[in-house]
Amino acid sequence: MTDNHSTTHGAVLADEAPADGAPIVELRSTGKSYGNIRALHGVDLKVYPHQVTCVLGDNGAGKSTLIKIISGLHQHTEGDFLVDGTPVRFSTPREALDKGIATVYQDLATVPLMPVWRNFFLGSEMTKGPWPVRRLDIQKMKETADRELRNMGIILDDLDQPIGTLSGGQRQCVAIARAVYFGARVLILDEPTAALGVKQSGVVLKYIAAARERGLGVIFITHNPHHAYMVGDHFSVLRLGTLELSAERADITLEELTNHMAGGAELAALKHELSQVRGVDTEELPEEEDLTAPVATGPEGKS
Amino acid sequence: MDRSSHSRSRRLAPIVAVAAAAALTLAGCSSSSGGKKSEEGGTAASAGKASTPRMTVALVTHQSPGDTFWDIVRKGAQAAADKDNIKLVYSADPNAGNQANLVQNAIDQKVDGIAVTLAKPDAMKDVIAKANTAKIPIVGLNSGLSDWKKLGLLEFFGQDETVAGEALGNRLNSEGAKKVVCVIQEQGNVGLTQRCDGVKKTFSGTTETLYVDGTSPTAVKSTITAKLTQDTAIDHVVTLGAPIALIAVQSVSDAGSKAKVATFDLNKDLTGAISKGTIEFAVDQQPYLQGYLAIDSLWLYKNNGNYMGGGEQPVLTGPAFVDKSNVAKVAEFAAKGTR
Amino acid sequence: MSQETQPAVATPPAPGPKEKDGRTAQRPLVLRVLARPDVGVFLGAVAVYVFFLISAPPVREASAMANILYQSSTIGIMALPVALLMIGGEFDLSAGVAVITSALTAAMLSYQLTMNVWVGVVAALVVSLGIGFLNGWLVVRTGLPSFLITLGSFLILQGVNLAVTKLVTGNVATDDISNMDGFDQAKALFASSFDIGGVQVKITIFWWLFFAAIATWVLLRTKYGNWVFAVGGNKDSARAVGVPVNFTKISLFMLVGFGAWFIGMHQLFSFNTVQSGEGVGQELIYISAAVIGGCLLTGGAGSAIGPVFGAFMFGMVQQGIVYAGWNPDWFKAFLGVMLLGAVMINLWVQRTATRR
Repeated sequence: MTDNHSTTHGAVLADEAPADGAPIVELRSTGKSYGNIRALHGVDLKVYPHQVTCVLGDNGAGKSTLIKIISGLHQHTEGDFLVDGTPVRFSTPREALDKGIATVYQDLATVPLMPVWRNFFLGSEMTKGPWPVRRLDIQKMKETADRELRNMGIILDDLDQPIGTLSGGQRQCVAIARAVYFGARVLILDEPTAALGVKQSGVVLKYIAAARERGLGVIFITHNPHHAYMVGDHFSVLRLGTLELSAERADITLEELTNHMAGGAELAALKHELSQVRGVDTEELPEEEDLTAPVATGPEGKS
Repeated sequence: MDRSSHSRSRRLAPIVAVAAAAALTLAGCSSSSGGKKSEEGGTAASAGKASTPRMTVALVTHQSPGDTFWDIVRKGAQAAADKDNIKLVYSADPNAGNQANLVQNAIDQKVDGIAVTLAKPDAMKDVIAKANTAKIPIVGLNSGLSDWKKLGLLEFFGQDETVAGEALGNRLNSEGAKKVVCVIQEQGNVGLTQRCDGVKKTFSGTTETLYVDGTSPTAVKSTITAKLTQDTAIDHVVTLGAPIALIAVQSVSDAGSKAKVATFDLNKDLTGAISKGTIEFAVDQQPYLQGYLAIDSLWLYKNNGNYMGGGEQPVLTGPAFVDKSNVAKVAEFAAKGTR
Repeated sequence: MSQETQPAVATPPAPGPKEKDGRTAQRPLVLRVLARPDVGVFLGAVAVYVFFLISAPPVREASAMANILYQSSTIGIMALPVALLMIGGEFDLSAGVAVITSALTAAMLSYQLTMNVWVGVVAALVVSLGIGFLNGWLVVRTGLPSFLITLGSFLILQGVNLAVTKLVTGNVATDDISNMDGFDQAKALFASSFDIGGVQVKITIFWWLFFAAIATWVLLRTKYGNWVFAVGGNKDSARAVGVPVNFTKISLFMLVGFGAWFIGMHQLFSFNTVQSGEGVGQELIYISAAVIGGCLLTGGAGSAIGPVFGAFMFGMVQQGIVYAGWNPDWFKAFLGVMLLGAVMINLWVQRTATRR
């Protein structure tokens, strides 16, 4: 297990293509239907190393369907899903992991009752000794987990405490550190800041930046444009299952992103309604023509 | 499926191989002693068949699944049914309410006769009245000796559990017993409690009761062992069922006790134990006879208007003692599962 | 490790080796030990033992202890796989009747075909593992609660036990196999006794402790043990990090099958015959022993050593009441009160220990 790990990890540390090189993960007008419900349709997305790709969207916009496809929990039903330029179709999360795609879920990042170090190595345990007495190399696992967590700036006194006793932010960080250690090339973070306070969110954002520094391609799912803008290099906004916006950081301001996130055109319409009501100051709200950022139009156009 | 299925099949492969190898060597594995081959063939008692018109009779008991005793009752009933050209419909449920429903079911089917056990007479009262209204002859067997007449049954075949207990108590007196433990394998069962109470009534020494968990033989074994260790003065263990008696024999040897085992009811293995002397005697209520007579009586009533016991007195099928002196004869029938 | 060559990332401050995060200060050793689920049940078992030592003089005899341990071992050998399964987040209500199914298979196969009893023993193992596999496979395939699936198999087995026995032997109990070839060897393995200092000690006690040691080692020191905790604690996240969830669950059900086989063989070779109606209700005793032993009903937490004490507590109370010579009419009530009391002690210890 240890040997296996070193090789995959070595591959990560080898110089990756620069940010403008080939994408690790690419979606080409990908879609997913559950029966006759179309959850996702015509989505294009590229994930480069050394970049944080933010996927924003309101509840039900199709964010979770998107990550389930990339992480191997579900299969896409339309378009193409490429890893390193080759079309793939994962049937289990294990296959995605083997390709270096690791996912940190908001609610199922960890097994709460298990100690921190066991969580860190879950599914990729280090062992020693020949079968049938092959056993966990607990000493080494604890040392490694401690070192890796410290490298990410997470300091725990007792790695034997159940991970459920850590704060939500700390848990996310342990999960991120684990993904980084196990040679993830692409890290999918599902709403890592959603349930956290301001300070805790800041901690998580730091680790996202840290993961990018290490050369990972990060997919950061959030509905908070402020968090996204702090670390993002590229922004994709999902809306009712289609891509509403796809923009580089240089091409968009936080304000524009916020407007898109908040509903863009619908917000402008809402403004008109609200202006009828006395006491609501609509001057500060943007007009539709202010939304100048390039808008990705799917085959069916905007909703 | 994830890849676990592959690893599973890899792991299963050696197991399958072992099983296959085992199958190949089976031929060389036959046992030179015991087993089916050593069993002597024998057929149950059978008589000629009556030429009376075909009739349907329902036998509804409070048997709980897998009780050897009821198996023998049913065999007796079947033998009578075969002889009398009767179609026997057997059903059972240990829950009194459910048993009453089964009787109702038989009434709805318009059977020609019903034989029923009265483990909990009150629960059966209404449904027996319905059978009488529907003019279906209904007889009782096994339990309900004190209630059958009151409830309006035609006849009754069984053993008075208290009388049987009293007989066993008297027998213990003549054996010179001083202290007895009566083992009840189902707490709250009326019939079982009556047996122990009967023993207590006539036995001149001390009688203690012990409850064991009848569903777990290991628990039965260690609980009886514990009792014998706790009270070394016990010289007789009385069990209320054949399988429990056989386990009690092991407990006695485990506890290093000198106590002897006596029991109610019989089965094949028990007759062996009696002839070997590990069990002193058994009180048999002749379950085969209960089933046989109950069905046969319905045939007689229908075809000749006869009442067994004259319609006033119950027909007692027990207690019959089986001990070393007469076990050889009984064992022959017990081997066939009819005693 | 290659990380050393890579500088620590710039953003988080490089930590000193002894830096502490003040919020997770270590609690005193005593409290941490007491917080372990198996320590509570250990104290509960000790309390029950001491109680009967005082109130039931025969318990002080070594032979009485051997009898109590024997009773505990027949519960405990099944409680172990049931506990592992519970840690893995599933139930098996068919465990009690599966024991009888196994014993019936061995007894009937050997007797009816007049084979060496070992043929029956091996066939029973295959059948038991097969039942476990089916239970597990249905649970992972349908995603239904194992409570429902195994309730179904419980009823099926109960019926099959009776019907097949009736069909094959014409009776509801199997025939005596004690004079058949291989019986003595099998009895030596599954149901013999040793003389230790004049006391007859049953072999199941050694098997029980042996299996408990293996289960503890597997649970705490192997990859598989890690997976068992993970699939019980959070199945989805275990699956997401690549734990073979289906394999783990199915194998746990098969482990229960193995336990049922072992106890089934013990019953067969100690009592020579099997009654097809037995075993009903025993599954609850196994589950209770596991729960008293500190296994979480919802899965994800527990130990293998806890159920050992849980089974001991059960055996001790069950036999202790008899040794104490109390009015047997109250037996079940005593049993319930003692168990509740023991569980309360367990809970109290846990609460005290985890309070900060």
